[in-house]
Amino acid sequence: MSYAHPEYLVDTEWVANHLNDATVRIIESDEDPLLYPMGHIPGAVQVDWFSTLQHPVRRDFVTKEQFAEMCSKLGIANDTTVVFYGDKSNWFACYALWLFEYYGHKNVKIMNGGRAKWEQEKRPLVRETPSYARTAYSAKDADKSIRAFRDEVLVHSNAKKALVDVRSPKEYSGEMLHMPNYPQEGATRGGHIPAAVSIPWSQAVNEADATFKTTEELVALYEGKNITADGEVIAYCRIGERSSLTWFVLKYLLGYPNVKNYDGSWTEWGNLVDAPIEK
Amino acid sequence: MSLPPKLQEIVDDFAGMSREEKIETLIGYAESLPTLPERFAEERAKMEPIPECMTPVFLFGEKQDDGGVIFHFDIPPQSPTVQGLACILASGLNGSKPAEILAVPADFFAPMNLEEAISGQRLNGFRGVLAHMKQTAVNLMNGK
Repeated sequence: MSYAHPEYLVDTEWVANHLNDATVRIIESDEDPLLYPMGHIPGAVQVDWFSTLQHPVRRDFVTKEQFAEMCSKLGIANDTTVVFYGDKSNWFACYALWLFEYYGHKNVKIMNGGRAKWEQEKRPLVRETPSYARTAYSAKDADKSIRAFRDEVLVHSNAKKALVDVRSPKEYSGEMLHMPNYPQEGATRGGHIPAAVSIPWSQAVNEADATFKTTEELVALYEGKNITADGEVIAYCRIGERSSLTWFVLKYLLGYPNVKNYDGSWTEWGNLVDAPIEK
Repeated sequence: MSLPPKLQEIVDDFAGMSREEKIETLIGYAESLPTLPERFAEERAKMEPIPECMTPVFLFGEKQDDGGVIFHFDIPPQSPTVQGLACILASGLNGSKPAEILAVPADFFAPMNLEEAISGQRLNGFRGVLAHMKQTAVNLMNGK
């Protein structure tokens, strides 16, 4: 059984064959910002989830205008096919893809397996940063249908609709407030949003080469926890990056029509006065 | 109290660098982080990996005859930023006495202005590794 929208995935071989394709822009989006300057796919440009994609002042993403400016600078036109890849099983690649969709960019894809698979296959990595001719990019209004905000998450939770907590089991149970060594990214309270089920993001990818699991495995994983295609689904994690991977899996690999990423995630919910929490 | 001289030197170096130089220098540190000496392999195998998805940092301290502490790290190459930050700490603090290590302020790196090169949130790892090093120094001081 193939994925619901296989056109959202390409493999490393496809990317290797499109390195000089002017209609394609390859974007590396990593958790670790030094990986790109140390070596990236020839011709790939970099976005950084914090310095490039986040608003410089508010806790939000770049504005529509800032997004358009970023695309112009990276030589991305409205009809460019954009392929994302990155470290950590493509967490931040999915995060960047989600933001591109948020501002209406069509034709986005994930390179299955990300950096890990490209490296395993001993494909070339270069240090030169390419530069592309500036484009005139016009971003669309934000597509709120893929992004959940706290008020609707509360309504969703109260209605016991499908809510997926993709953090590690100890973060879900409230035993751990934040990842070790990342104290400032924590929250003042531990636990999870009431009605959320725990399906750690990592269960959707193969550990060996960071590729996504098969349709059959993914169906068993999510339907087994009652996360089904017929309702609205909201996914969250700690800052919204791991859950954008789950969002990608549910929306494009399994074809669920109504999936949102709650990017406020636990660092908002666990600090929110009066928000209900289950442990 | 002032920083150990080697650490102070690194802080001063970074303070005068451009963003590009900071990135290049961090890469240099990441690439020069020594691999974990073989004699720690057994201990390393017994240690619990950090039960999380971000970078697992393994840290070992050794007390020298003069009371100074030498730190060794095991950090995967997929996390060069953490490798680089750990290598800065090891380069700046190896050989220092536990009391000197404990006296390093948690925000000692502020003048390095690393936010230009890597996001401020990633610098939390810097604080985390330093906190681990201090704990290790205390343990060595107490003979653990």
